[in-house]
Amino acid sequence: MKIKKLHILVLSLILLPAIAISGAELTGLQIIENVYNRDTGKDSKGNLTMSLINSQGNERVRTIKQFIKDFGKVEKKIMFFMSPADVRNTSFVNWSYTEEGKDDDQWIYLPALKKIKRISSSSKSDYFMGSDFTYDDLGDRQPESDTHKLIREEKFNGEQCYVVESLPKDEEYVYSRTVTWIIKDKWIGLKKEFYDEDEDLLKILSVKKFEKINGLWIILHSEMVNVQKKHTTKMELSDVKINTSIPDRQFTERMMKRGL
Amino acid sequence: MENLLKKLTKFNKIVLVAVLILNVGFFMIMRSNTRMETDLDEYMPQEHPAFVYSNQAEKWFNIKDGIIIAIENENGIYNSDTLQKVKDLTKAFQKMKEIEKSDVTSLYTADNILGTEDGMDVKPFFKRVPKDIEKLDEMKRLVRDNDMVFGRLVSEDEKITLIVAEIKDDVFSQEFYHRILELSKEYEGPEKLYVAGSPIVEGTMAYLGPKDMQRMVPIVILIIIIVLLALLRSFKATILTLLVVLFSTVLAFGLMAAVNIPIYAVSTMIPVMLIAIGVADGIHLFSHLHLFMKKNPSASKRDAVNDMIHGMWKPVVMTSVTTAVGFISLITSQVYPIKYFGIFTAFGVLMAMVFSLVLVPAGLMMFGLPGWKDKPEKAKRKNSKNIGSAFSSWIVKHRYLTILITISIIAISIVGIGKVWINSSFLDKFEKDSDIVLTDKFINTHFGGTSTLNVILDSKEKNAFKDPALLRLIDEMQDDVEKLEIVGNSFSLSDYLKRMNKVMHADKEEFNTIPDSRELVAQYLLLYEMSGDPENLWSVVNYDYTKVNVIFQLKSDNSKAMNSAIEIIEKYIPGFGEQNVEINFAGSGYKGLVFTDLILMGQILSLLLSLIIVIILLSLMFKKVLAGIIGAVPIVITAVISFGVMGLFNIPLSTTTALLSSIAIGIGIDYAVHFIERYKIYAIRTGDKAITSEKTMQHSGRAIVFNALVVIAGFLVLLLSVFPPNRALGALVSLNMFTSFVGTVSIMYLLLYMSNIYFKKKQNKEIKEVGNEN
Repeated sequence: MKIKKLHILVLSLILLPAIAISGAELTGLQIIENVYNRDTGKDSKGNLTMSLINSQGNERVRTIKQFIKDFGKVEKKIMFFMSPADVRNTSFVNWSYTEEGKDDDQWIYLPALKKIKRISSSSKSDYFMGSDFTYDDLGDRQPESDTHKLIREEKFNGEQCYVVESLPKDEEYVYSRTVTWIIKDKWIGLKKEFYDEDEDLLKILSVKKFEKINGLWIILHSEMVNVQKKHTTKMELSDVKINTSIPDRQFTERMMKRGL
Repeated sequence: MENLLKKLTKFNKIVLVAVLILNVGFFMIMRSNTRMETDLDEYMPQEHPAFVYSNQAEKWFNIKDGIIIAIENENGIYNSDTLQKVKDLTKAFQKMKEIEKSDVTSLYTADNILGTEDGMDVKPFFKRVPKDIEKLDEMKRLVRDNDMVFGRLVSEDEKITLIVAEIKDDVFSQEFYHRILELSKEYEGPEKLYVAGSPIVEGTMAYLGPKDMQRMVPIVILIIIIVLLALLRSFKATILTLLVVLFSTVLAFGLMAAVNIPIYAVSTMIPVMLIAIGVADGIHLFSHLHLFMKKNPSASKRDAVNDMIHGMWKPVVMTSVTTAVGFISLITSQVYPIKYFGIFTAFGVLMAMVFSLVLVPAGLMMFGLPGWKDKPEKAKRKNSKNIGSAFSSWIVKHRYLTILITISIIAISIVGIGKVWINSSFLDKFEKDSDIVLTDKFINTHFGGTSTLNVILDSKEKNAFKDPALLRLIDEMQDDVEKLEIVGNSFSLSDYLKRMNKVMHADKEEFNTIPDSRELVAQYLLLYEMSGDPENLWSVVNYDYTKVNVIFQLKSDNSKAMNSAIEIIEKYIPGFGEQNVEINFAGSGYKGLVFTDLILMGQILSLLLSLIIVIILLSLMFKKVLAGIIGAVPIVITAVISFGVMGLFNIPLSTTTALLSSIAIGIGIDYAVHFIERYKIYAIRTGDKAITSEKTMQHSGRAIVFNALVVIAGFLVLLLSVFPPNRALGALVSLNMFTSFVGTVSIMYLLLYMSNIYFKKKQNKEIKEVGNEN
């Protein structure tokens, strides 16, 4: 579903088999593009359990029902909070654009206020809902934003992986460097290390569970640990349905207000 | 005992060598194993409920003490250069290994909760430094509109902005402080930079106090040597007296090192006590020896030393044992450094006793008696004898006047005691015109305050603090406390919610209130988390909303200021109680307050306890309860006057000044025991009150005057110290020595005289013996 740019999709559809056949070694950029462009469906829905665990081991759990659909130049996402009870039916809509440098549009509906409000995130490097994931970490970062280098290949957690190092082109970016372990032929980032401005390890992302659903590889459980703040976020998807032709009206204001 | 001591004098070389080896041994242990403890938290009784709670709360909310850097630009802070400095300094602090990145707050890191036309936005005031006028003006407007930042990080005249870097308790060092000063110096001009905050104050104090002491102590010792020389008029006697003090100090600190107990700030008081007390033994011994030699100029070395041991071993043992017991009573204190102070001072006092009885005779046997010249001495002695007897007869003649004066002094002192106030402030220990005080004042006049009081509200119920009723009560409490002049501002979860409610209602002031429903509160909070970095939220509320941290900024760290705020907060206990919410306090300022209270309570308890023990011991030693009670008089007078003077002269009680009352015990007992012992001996010998008085004054009285003069002269030097607490120390030690001395020779003597103690049926029988002896 991360098919942001149709032409890239088309291009890679033509080029990928060619590269694979020729047996030529992939470049770092190609590997990352393969991950970015991995087909995750035209739309999906499911239940998301987001657990936030702080350094003292306290845990907060939110359950969310989410719908995501690719509209070509924009990917729309609607989330309904199921729990905790005091935020039930709060809904959140995010429009993420493929156009480079264009910030997401976001709205929230607060049932207690009975109003839809717009919230603007100032950048993709903002944290998502108080979790340890930034919007970029969730998969929105475009391959061209960084320079990538394949540093080695190794077996990790029983999977043959490419290890790719990525350096941001923008010096002011929150991470100075990331290192990703990517499963060959599945194009799933199995593990990713994030280094802060001072080159210190900041966060580790681990994918704990992925499954083939409707013939597509879908990441179900992932965990991000901020090793500096000792804060952890677990994201667990369940009841995932892919390509069920979610109608466009699912993403409208009316649906935001209607709730579950 | 006496025989043993006399026998020992025959082996003087062995004794001297043994003492020397013992001291060298302990000195080696001391050198290899001594460590200083400067972390103030280590001083506090960690199991005390107030500390247990505060320490937990500090973890829950990441409460730490902050170093404050103020950047002042006379032309206003809203220009690219100054803002660039704010950004660079913020980043420089974030990079320091002592500081965690998220613990630095400045205009660069602060979140701005901002109302937009159709929603809300949380974003930093700037990432890249704004260059053009419009952007700078825009930023100025945004800061002005946000009262969570305006007046807190930016002064109201917009000329000063703050960077607050919170550090852990145990990372502060002089080296770190100098790095901060150097760093801030780099950024000077045209901006002025100021560094303040409680870690700086505490750190500087922990550094300045001992450093100043190091400079002053040699002078104190020098003066003591000079005065001792002048009074004892013997080089040998002076050296031996000083060796007693030195060796007992070495042994006390050596034992401390041997059992692996670090040196605390209060431990520096141990030598102070040992100087005051140890010198006394020597002076009394030599005073006795001197009198003997005057009466028996032809006596041999051995006879003189044996007579000294015979006459003095008892009072020396009695004074030392009672003094040691007095100090050991400090073991009841809940504060470990004070416990140790008591134990090791007691040990030092006992060692001073041993050295006085072993080293002094051995030294005299080895190097010969002091070469006192008797001719000029005679005239002088007469003189001092006359003064002594004139004084005693004056006291007896004006007995009612003496009693009246004593009672009125005590009455005035008691009035003073009522005015004594406890001060746990660190800042008050510095000169009023020192940089550290001036900087603090500067920041306090422009901002909320440099001192922090954390109020922790604690509920058992999950999500309790999403209840609007509770949030309103918190808000009300904040408003109430802020009415105090010394409270600059306050900050809590309520402030976040009021700000968001206002922002979500098109920035209308009438919505600067707590939202009406629990759901709206929860949804605002979720919105806040979704809009920005929620990190800041966790310093005012915990994860499951069962606890909140209400932060009050105070303009002074003294106990009066903190107590006045606590008093108002405590009025809210019933209100919160109704909602099953408990109020507790936390933070280093509060801990300091509790700690000082604990020390004082312990000190007063141990004073009372030791007074009782001393009365019992003295009663047993002199075999008369009345003697015990009379002997306690100098202690009581010294302690009462000491506290009274502090109240009258507005010297607040602090850890050091409170401990000084221990001197009252140490010295008071010594004087009383020596004096009563002599009085008893002469009373039994002569059976004549007038002669007894005169002789006692001549013997004990003289020694007491000498002792008081030596110590007073030495400690008055501390008045020249640059560090005010050390000045107070010097003044109070001198005062205590003086009152002990005057109390002993005036009112205690008078009570002995009037009680007719030792002058009853025994009179006739004893006269014979006296005749034999003389």
